Amino acid sequence: MREAISVPYLRAGFKEWLFTTDHKKIGLMYLTTSYIFFLVAGLFGLIIRFEQTVPGQQVVPPDFYNYLLTGHGAVLLLWWAIASHIGGFGNFLLPLMIGAKDVAFPRLNALSWWAFFGASVLVLLTLIPGNHIKMMWTGYPPYSASGDAGVTALYVFIIHLIGISSIATAVNFITTYIKMRAPGIHFWNTNMFVHTLIAANVIQLVGVPSLAGAVTMLLLDKYLGTNFYNPAKGGDPLLYQNVFWFYSHPVVYVQILPVFGFFSEIVPTFARRPLFGYKSMIFAVWGITLLSFEVWIHHMFVSGVPDWARVIMSYTTILIAVPTGIKIFNWMGTLHGGAIILRSPMLYALGGIFMFLIGGLTGIPNAMVAIDLGISDSLFIVGHFHYVLGMALTLGLFGAIIYWFPKMTGKMYPEGMGKLSFWLTFIGANLFYFFQMVVGMLGNPRRYPDYPPIPEWVTLHQIQTVGAVILGLGVLVFTIGIIKGLLSGEKAPDNPWQSQSLEWRIPSPAPVDNFGEEHPKVEPDYHPYKYGAPPVF
Amino acid sequence: MEQVLAYPAKWWYDAVTVWLVVAVVIYVVVAVPGLYFIMKYRFKPGEREVGDHERHGHWGLEALWTIVPTIIVLVLATYSFAVFKKQRTAPPDAMTIKVTGFMWGWQVEYLDDKGNTIKTVVTSFNPTSYDIPEDQKIVVPAGKPVKALLTSLDVIHSFYVKPARITEDMVPGRITHLWFQINKPGEYWVFCREYCGTGHSHMFTKLKVVPPEQFALWLKGETNLAKSEINKEVVR
Ligand code: HEM
Ligand SMILES: [Cu+2]
Ligand SMILES: [Cu+2]
Repeated sequence: MREAISVPYLRAGFKEWLFTTDHKKIGLMYLTTSYIFFLVAGLFGLIIRFEQTVPGQQVVPPDFYNYLLTGHGAVLLLWWAIASHIGGFGNFLLPLMIGAKDVAFPRLNALSWWAFFGASVLVLLTLIPGNHIKMMWTGYPPYSASGDAGVTALYVFIIHLIGISSIATAVNFITTYIKMRAPGIHFWNTNMFVHTLIAANVIQLVGVPSLAGAVTMLLLDKYLGTNFYNPAKGGDPLLYQNVFWFYSHPVVYVQILPVFGFFSEIVPTFARRPLFGYKSMIFAVWGITLLSFEVWIHHMFVSGVPDWARVIMSYTTILIAVPTGIKIFNWMGTLHGGAIILRSPMLYALGGIFMFLIGGLTGIPNAMVAIDLGISDSLFIVGHFHYVLGMALTLGLFGAIIYWFPKMTGKMYPEGMGKLSFWLTFIGANLFYFFQMVVGMLGNPRRYPDYPPIPEWVTLHQIQTVGAVILGLGVLVFTIGIIKGLLSGEKAPDNPWQSQSLEWRIPSPAPVDNFGEEHPKVEPDYHPYKYGAPPVF
Repeated sequence: MEQVLAYPAKWWYDAVTVWLVVAVVIYVVVAVPGLYFIMKYRFKPGEREVGDHERHGHWGLEALWTIVPTIIVLVLATYSFAVFKKQRTAPPDAMTIKVTGFMWGWQVEYLDDKGNTIKTVVTSFNPTSYDIPEDQKIVVPAGKPVKALLTSLDVIHSFYVKPARITEDMVPGRITHLWFQINKPGEYWVFCREYCGTGHSHMFTKLKVVPPEQFALWLKGETNLAKSEINKEVVR
């Protein structure tokens, strides 16, 4: 055992954190930042939720509401749903899982982090009155190019900085995976998390430039008088939507694929058996990645694009259900014949999978263009993606935080708080998001701070608020659990879950030099899910 | 035969029902065995400590759950395609109106046979209530298809005819369209569903569906419908 060099991160000096190029420290900084932003944006969500409880204006005026909703959407999508697992877990785990010393370009990695940090500062600047942006995270022109939308430039620069950070990270991770694997680690014994991470970064590499282009043209239109999107001068607002969604649809797979990775790590460990259909899982990941760029029109089914485009993309969109379904079936197959231990990471992962099933099934009507004409821009859509992002993704991330907490901090996350926060979050979120979909089916438009006093709508909104409060409590308990774990958690063993994967072979918390040598020794028959022996607890 | 309230809502409801049945069946088929496995294959010290580590997959099963879902979703998409064609194609006898969105309201123009505007309804922005003055409701004849040509003066808006379950965006510089037919006289909600700024949630009006004879009179300006027989309670 190499206990001696296993320095807890909290004890590293400020200077070391500031100038670090260590992938683990960078990962932790990403994760911490994303988590804090998640809390703030979640609070925004609660305020929005309270405003909708009954018709009329109660809590915040519409302009401030629109700012809160813009912030809620943008921050949760870019910080919580991307930076937390790509920047956070990706950085921390990728080199450990493939048996490397660091990422391929550690200094580029630090650059990624600082660009991301810059974007985070810009987000905080929008909190200052007068800097509010209220064009929603989608930022459609002509509205976003109008004076009513707020400081468009801030939005554009946030996207630019995040974009630089994402592209640098993508280059870095892909190179790391190709070049830095320990001898013995190959395509067919790589962790699912790494497979999904690489697929997500391929999407980033291809897609981010498109988003950057869309918002750059927006910037030029608004401040320098160009007319890319100005119909009065021959421009076209739909150009923005096309270029925007060319990236921003695939981005939902950037968001969810690594979470599929978490599920695939956690489920076999706590079912004590190999991942079912490992190979078809890999095919499914790449199938989703390829298809993800052929479906963006489904965000524009009622935008006025030609009917033939809608029909084609209706087919491509619905086909994504197939590889996604394969993954769900394989997780179920993993449960079959397992020796299932319901520790809190497993609870979170299973909860996430079952909720993803609902998220997937409620995605089908959005793909069926005939149904979408009636539900587009309604709260049904919002409920659907909350099932995917607010539940599958969030539960997956919470599970992952508990699961790798020992490796990151050297302490155990308090199990009781893990279980309690799971049930609160799970019940509250279902109560909230399910009825959000129902009221949407009844016609309630999205992005409405106020709505007419239709009795069924009012009842449904009140149920949602009750759900959101319970959900808020769950998140609070989870957060207290993190703090408690950090301060007074039990000391973590090196491999508390008896996992077979490489990252658990080193001490907890992971020492500065990872494996101590260039690469760990990987047995010829190594496989991350080779569960066979009884766990020793 | 039961009277259909509105088109294309009728087909939309059918499609939603089809989806809901398929979704619930799939949910049960996946979730029930899943929950059962979680109950049954539980870790028990001394008794069941290792999972089945022989089976890494099963090509037959994996092929099955690739092929069957592919067929299901292709059938659903094709069915939706057929409905979509009906939703997007207004019947030839449809009456045309022009609707123009602005921040935050609509201007509705009624046309004569030659396409000249003969009557205009303009809604006004009311940020505090959802009451609508009588002369700001969009009047249409019951039982007759209406094709709406949509555009916008400023930012993107949309036109959602709630009883007909149909939306289309209103894009400046473009003309988009949708059609609907409401068979039962009454008042129905119309909303903007594309985010358009501060007044977005108060961009609304009501559709006032009246018998065709009354509509003709209204169009000629011979009635303001103030004494119309319509039951005001029917608001959907
Ligand atoms: C913490 C609990 C959460 C609460 C209370 C909450 C609440 C809400 C509410 C009330 C809306 C407004 C719906 C509307 O009227 O249009 C909304 C929208 C949204 N939420 Fe959440 N949400 C939560 C978590 C999340 C998470 C975890 C994500 C993503 C990872 C997320 C992503 C979004 C997005 C993208 C929108 C749409 C914003 C827009 O329309 O531009 N939310 N949320
Ligand atoms: Cu999408
Ligand atoms: Cu609007």
